[in-house]
Amino acid sequence: MEQKFRRTFDELKNIVTMTEAVFRQQELPAGLRNVVDLATEELFVNMVTYNTESEEDILIQMVPHEHGIEVSLTDYNVERFDPTSGGAVDVDAPLEERTPGGLGLFLVLKMVDSIHYEYRNRQSKITFVVDRK
Amino acid sequence: MFEIEITENGIVAIDGRLDAAQAVKAQQFLDQVTGQCVLDLSKLEYISSAGLGVFLKTHKRLMGSGSGIKLVNVNHHIHDIFRYSGFDKLFEIVPATG
Repeated sequence: MEQKFRRTFDELKNIVTMTEAVFRQQELPAGLRNVVDLATEELFVNMVTYNTESEEDILIQMVPHEHGIEVSLTDYNVERFDPTSGGAVDVDAPLEERTPGGLGLFLVLKMVDSIHYEYRNRQSKITFVVDRK
Repeated sequence: MFEIEITENGIVAIDGRLDAAQAVKAQQFLDQVTGQCVLDLSKLEYISSAGLGVFLKTHKRLMGSGSGIKLVNVNHHIHDIFRYSGFDKLFEIVPATG
């Protein structure tokens, strides 16, 4: 299943609706949902927030496979930005030194089973896989 | 769906999905809270980094006046997010029972 979404956080509810449909139709384990929701939101929000020069919709593709699900987000007419090379977050830092910055991508890299980035012809495509444990 | 309200016993109850689209609403609500704040997360289904940022900002503000946030009835999935984020070291967390 694939669908395009406007560059606004208001689309998050529609992304959740798409994910629910894929999980229901493919009878995927409900235990994978939260990780898929979190990774999809964080990557989508990152594209909306930082790829501000583009007005094109963002394509999300969800492909079930034997061991779980593969999700791709493609952003068009953007500069290269590889989220898989994101810096680490010091989760042991004291409260006064903690900021929310970078936490989203940190969680994605921590929770998905694999992630891959491609950049070609000003298209950014991020693909992650969440497997049954 | 997302709702945040103060219950009759003074606890802040959060219901639904706290994502980037709802973070502003949650922040505006919690900006009004003063003193020790207990957040009941028994009906929180989902949280992303945007929601974590709301909790962190509010906790830092309240700690500045000698209080803070206590998170209660935290389910397994939400607790995992807190643990991966290191929030389990910053907040007093009471897991859900059962």
